[in-house]
Amino acid sequence: MYSWIWRHLPGPLYLRVVEAVVLVVGIVALLMFVVFPWAEPKLPFNNVTTQ
Amino acid sequence: MPRRPMPPRPRPVDPPTEVIPRVEDDYDDEYYDDDEYYDDEPAPKDALPPDSLARKTVRGVGEALITMGLVVLLFVVYEVYVTDLLSAEKQQDATAALDSEWSSNVVTPPPADPNRKSQLNLIEGKAFAKMYIPVFGNDWKFSVVEGTTDKHLEIGPGHYKDTAQPGEAGNFSIAGHRVGKGAPFNDLDLLQSCNSIVVQTQTQWFVYRVLPMSSEVAGWATNPKSKEAACTGVAPLSTTLGDAYAKTVGQEIVVPTQGEVIAPIPHHVGAPVPADKQARLLTLTTCHPRFSDKQRLIVHAIETKSYPVADGFVPPEMTEG
Repeated sequence: MYSWIWRHLPGPLYLRVVEAVVLVVGIVALLMFVVFPWAEPKLPFNNVTTQ
Repeated sequence: MPRRPMPPRPRPVDPPTEVIPRVEDDYDDEYYDDDEYYDDEPAPKDALPPDSLARKTVRGVGEALITMGLVVLLFVVYEVYVTDLLSAEKQQDATAALDSEWSSNVVTPPPADPNRKSQLNLIEGKAFAKMYIPVFGNDWKFSVVEGTTDKHLEIGPGHYKDTAQPGEAGNFSIAGHRVGKGAPFNDLDLLQSCNSIVVQTQTQWFVYRVLPMSSEVAGWATNPKSKEAACTGVAPLSTTLGDAYAKTVGQEIVVPTQGEVIAPIPHHVGAPVPADKQARLLTLTTCHPRFSDKQRLIVHAIETKSYPVADGFVPPEMTEG
């Protein structure tokens, strides 16, 4: 998977490094600000109230 | 022929014992001595077999597993650190809104018996009081919002709707996160009996003190701690208010379905005591153990003092700790 992505990144080496970093940052941001906030209430970690 | 005894053979002379001085040597040195030898070995050149389908599959699965592991790690980082940042901002906004509200609207001075009269206008998601726990340090302060949904609790500790207001008879109950989201109640398990929890509304300060723990209830009268100044007004409720309060102690751990801990009289849902005879309690709830929602950690406290809010006045209890 990772080598496949690497092979398909266009441009010379330095550009590909930049692209890879942008990809990683983008995915981390997507997880942090979209996926995790959505998933968190569904997980049994942090309920503090009684019913 | 008779055998003549052989003369003893001359024994070889022992060479003088050579004393070899002990060499203090690092274990590592020996280990590294071999380095060069290994370095000389030619590296295997492109010995990888051609990519078969099986190889690709195994590699793909491996990479997927590593990726999932990283995502889980990231989630922990999110839960423990990132939510703190997001919540800190919301808590700041709520506090700023509260401060501007307090400074802008003029209130009539609290009535003569203020504990029972002043009714706050509580709006869901809006902060209405500030909360301090002096033993957690000067910087431990949170604005308490109305409501206990996930959205409310992201802002700060949340007041259970329909429970008593600060200073009211009954059970002023607050939920708060223990991990992430500002983690206001992170150290709730460390509260000891008689520790103060101070709640400030626009017009009043209320000082609550943690009730004696279940282990202290029996010997409270003879416990030297009960004579301390901090414990004035604190006694096991079963001795002062009767059996209805027998289960109301400083700290308890319950299952999430035990909503009765925030009842006006904890553990008594159909309150057998009339409202005007109920104690003025504060109950804090959070998750237990940390990182789990299996149980709830509950802390009960009783109001021991109240002060009107005045310019420059800070209750003496605020410096305990």
